[in-house]
Amino acid sequence: MINEWLLQFAEWLYATSGSRAIEQSYYLYNWIETTHVLTVMVSLGMLIFIDLRMLGLAMPNVSAVKLANRLNLVMMIGFAVMFITGLLLFYAKPVYTTQSIWFRIKFLLLIIAFINAVLFHRRMLASGASWEFDAKAPRNLQLGAAFSLVLWIGVVTTGRLIAYDWYQCYRELPQWLSVAAGCVAP
Amino acid sequence: MELLPLSFFEWAETTYLGYIGKTYGGVYATLGQSIHLMSLALLGGTVLVADLRLLGVVLRDVPSEVVTEQAHKWFRIALIAIVASGVFMAAAIAQKLFYNAAYWAKMYALIAGVLFVFAVKRPLLKGDHSQINPWVLRIVAIASILVWFTVAATGRWIGFS
Repeated sequence: MINEWLLQFAEWLYATSGSRAIEQSYYLYNWIETTHVLTVMVSLGMLIFIDLRMLGLAMPNVSAVKLANRLNLVMMIGFAVMFITGLLLFYAKPVYTTQSIWFRIKFLLLIIAFINAVLFHRRMLASGASWEFDAKAPRNLQLGAAFSLVLWIGVVTTGRLIAYDWYQCYRELPQWLSVAAGCVAP
Repeated sequence: MELLPLSFFEWAETTYLGYIGKTYGGVYATLGQSIHLMSLALLGGTVLVADLRLLGVVLRDVPSEVVTEQAHKWFRIALIAIVASGVFMAAAIAQKLFYNAAYWAKMYALIAGVLFVFAVKRPLLKGDHSQINPWVLRIVAIASILVWFTVAATGRWIGFS
């Protein structure tokens, strides 16, 4: 049922003039995608640096809490641009993307990464700043940082794989994969 | 202008690396493209942390010598990973790349970036930054951000050309 609704919504989006305009414009679509990829350097670049600090692998002499707080704004600007360009990319190809198993996995991983980031931030605030000059963060924060890196590797990989149509609905797919990808019988 | 002859690109596709990338799409996409993108994130992060510090935008209360040194350590790791995954991907589609203008633009940008880092930025920033004219530091930071964003953007356009 949910797959039918999602498809109907995607088809409605596809029929709008804005969606057609973006997809059909060689320069507009490709520059939106380029911006989406370039902001990886801003958002994930900062995130990796913060995570590496928590794991004791970068800037061991700089306060971990200070580093996280100072790089946070730049990281959030990067994520904002990434989110907007990501929405536009989805809007340009809504049906293809809705029925992409990779996009679906990426979406799940993004939700988990968001929850992990909120929990990490809460734990960091709750822990006080007694450890901030230690080379490594407390164990639970280290785990959060490592999990964040793994999740983002997954997000980037599945994001890249959306471009490949190996498991799109017009292919021969096993039943479970067909349902997971959101295929709807005509 | 091409930096290497077509015969080199023809040979690259016949190598084991070229064979793997061409035959196994999943390996190409994950070990090639995904690692390339994650390395780009790391490389971009190290460039931005160092350059935004030089511009006085972030971490103003941490000495820029410390930030530059630590960022450069991870920059080198990112550069090795990005070049290694790049070579792997290039081997699989070498002949196509020879005729791709964006690919050559990227190679020139990459060479400019590497020369800039190791021949200009590093030697300049090795000592005490307070001895350097602040405008020189700012110009170096802006040039560095521009050159690496150009490398990334031309790299992405290889796929569109």
